[in-house]
Amino acid sequence: MTIRHRTTARAVAVLATAGIAITLGGCASSPGNGVTTLSFFQFKGEALSDFADIIADFEAENPDIRVVQNQVADSETAIRTLLVKDKAPDVITLNANGNFGKLAQAGVFYDFSDEPVLQTINPAVQEILAQLGNKEGEVNSLGYVNNANGVIYNREIFAEQGLEVPETWDEFLAVIDALETAGIAPFYGTLADAWTGMPSWNALGAYPTQNGFFDELRAEGDTVGPDSSVSFEKDFADAMAQQGELFSHMQEGYRGRTYDDGNAAFANGEAAMLLQGIWALSPIKAINPDIDAAIFPYPDGDSPDDRLLVSGVDVTVTMARNTPHREEALRFIDYLFDKGVIEKFAASQNMVPSVVGAQLSDDPALQSIKPFFDDGKITGFIDHQVPGAIPLTAIVQQFLFDGDADAALATLDSEWRKVAARTIPVTGDGK
Amino acid sequence: MTTLTSAVRASTAGDGAAVKRAGRVRSDSSRAMPAYYWMVWPAVIAFAAFHTIPVLVGIFFSFTNYAGYGEWDFVGISNYLNLFQDDRVLKAYGFSFLFAIVATILTNAISLAIAMGLNAKIKARNFWRGVYFVPYVLAILVIGYVFQFLFSNSLPKILSGIPLFRDNILTNPDWAWTAIVGLAVWQACAFSIIIYLSGLQTIPAELYEAASLDGASPWRQFSSITFPLIGAFFTINVVLSLKGFLQVFDPIVALTNGGPGTATESVTLLIFKGGFSGGEFAYQTANAVVFFIVITIVSLVQFRFLQRREADF
Repeated sequence: MTIRHRTTARAVAVLATAGIAITLGGCASSPGNGVTTLSFFQFKGEALSDFADIIADFEAENPDIRVVQNQVADSETAIRTLLVKDKAPDVITLNANGNFGKLAQAGVFYDFSDEPVLQTINPAVQEILAQLGNKEGEVNSLGYVNNANGVIYNREIFAEQGLEVPETWDEFLAVIDALETAGIAPFYGTLADAWTGMPSWNALGAYPTQNGFFDELRAEGDTVGPDSSVSFEKDFADAMAQQGELFSHMQEGYRGRTYDDGNAAFANGEAAMLLQGIWALSPIKAINPDIDAAIFPYPDGDSPDDRLLVSGVDVTVTMARNTPHREEALRFIDYLFDKGVIEKFAASQNMVPSVVGAQLSDDPALQSIKPFFDDGKITGFIDHQVPGAIPLTAIVQQFLFDGDADAALATLDSEWRKVAARTIPVTGDGK
Repeated sequence: MTTLTSAVRASTAGDGAAVKRAGRVRSDSSRAMPAYYWMVWPAVIAFAAFHTIPVLVGIFFSFTNYAGYGEWDFVGISNYLNLFQDDRVLKAYGFSFLFAIVATILTNAISLAIAMGLNAKIKARNFWRGVYFVPYVLAILVIGYVFQFLFSNSLPKILSGIPLFRDNILTNPDWAWTAIVGLAVWQACAFSIIIYLSGLQTIPAELYEAASLDGASPWRQFSSITFPLIGAFFTINVVLSLKGFLQVFDPIVALTNGGPGTATESVTLLIFKGGFSGGEFAYQTANAVVFFIVITIVSLVQFRFLQRREADF
């Protein structure tokens, strides 16, 4: 082998390696001419075209700003990666769940406390966000549109049977009884999808947790148990019994049915009620567009006035703490919260807008929950308060299968203790 | 891919003694040709970059309280101490071992039987060999969802007389694991059959001829000739199956996702769920390190035990 050959071989190899390196590297974006480009992180696939319309209108009004919508599939992983790399997008929408609360607590988002747009938003919605977590003394995101989690009921069947919306637990049981006597399945259970046990758990569990239950539970930490000041075993027995009672009225074979089966059955009038949130109405209406369905909150014992509607902030809007385009990003956010814009968006997404005074679409389901939003009688999803390391959904599903509430509550407490014991808070001096 | 390469590696190791060493190619210099280095280096670099370094980084983070993002501190071995007190983790190990042992036995028994059938002089032999290899080519998640439909929609109608199937076996906490075993074995057999087939083809026909002249029964022929002579292949298959089944993940995700409750939660599924959606990245990394050690020990023990029983000719 000659020297010449050897060098050629080496050159080829170097080129090949370089080629790999180039393909692996990303491509950089180039700045425009006097136009500010905002990157808009958008997590909701079904809202892609709605946001595209909003952006087109906004850009027409603000020719100096260009908004690039990045719709991502796995938004939670994506935003974490961007934050770790210090490449936070300018304007961000996220689903307001427990993980979002943790990010907000870490202080990676902008503080909206002094922004005028905050004053236009329903304080009950901001309270739900505050429950999830903010950096201390700050308001790190603005609730945009909200969902509602209650009992979906078929108004036609209720009218035929002469039934009213139940406002107390006893009335609820009477309604179930009346439907069963009339030969109508009251509910359609879909436990093959484990998560479908959660909407009712969240709603019934909302009542015993109103007075700072989770704050106390966190303070107890690894001593949570039947003898601590609060615990699942101590405070959740009634809620679990109620949930068990509802599931004892499910149709035959409900353990093997899926969420889709349930929506189809409800759409075809095979069951009068569905223990699901407002999100189930879109798939139901896809099957039967003419269905007359509405939502009522789960009753709380025998006091109609104490009823609370569980609501989650489906889309919350925030922005990066240190974005170089602060002024432009705020202009876009102000535009998003414009009454006309948010009304159109919420109606299209079948959600409740957060801006006070914004009108809901005349869909009966949305109109049925409107009073609870107007009066601020809403509360958050409690499963957002439970650390993800606790297999909550699995424990609740297990309970609904075997009916052993004591075992389920003991497991919840023991998981809470274990997670509290092994979670060592970050002090930040490790690095 | 990894199973394939390790299978090849293991099979050469097992047969090493039997194969006559090929004469070494003479070269002028004592050093190998540079071309060989260029063949090896990309693989070494890629392996180190995408495998070895992440493993080391993972081991490093198992001694911290890193959540996957943000800041972290060193916490010593407390992640490991907590692991041994976590009944959910212990339960997952119990499930993984039960699943792996049952699936390994079934896979090897079934695929050995099918391989012998495919090695006999049957009609359309190559066609059947192709058919039995198809499950290996299909992506397990794809078949998984087909099986899920089968278990939750078709079987309840076909076998409506059997309560277990009528109520969707996947939602039965006591029996859901058998459905997962069914899917995993169905898919794993394809590869095991290939290895057994190649093993069966190494046995010289004269041995059977001599045995039948001596009047040995078919069972005697199997137990005294066939099985001992494919011992190396049996070892590979058992070790690979057990290792693979201990790490079972895809079939569970497709069929039950660990449910009902936590009845079918394997160690790998727990690591994935707790580490990513549970936000306990460091804790579950410690779990992964322990699991890695457990699998290594199990595989080494198996090799030692099974290789002692292999026969050479």
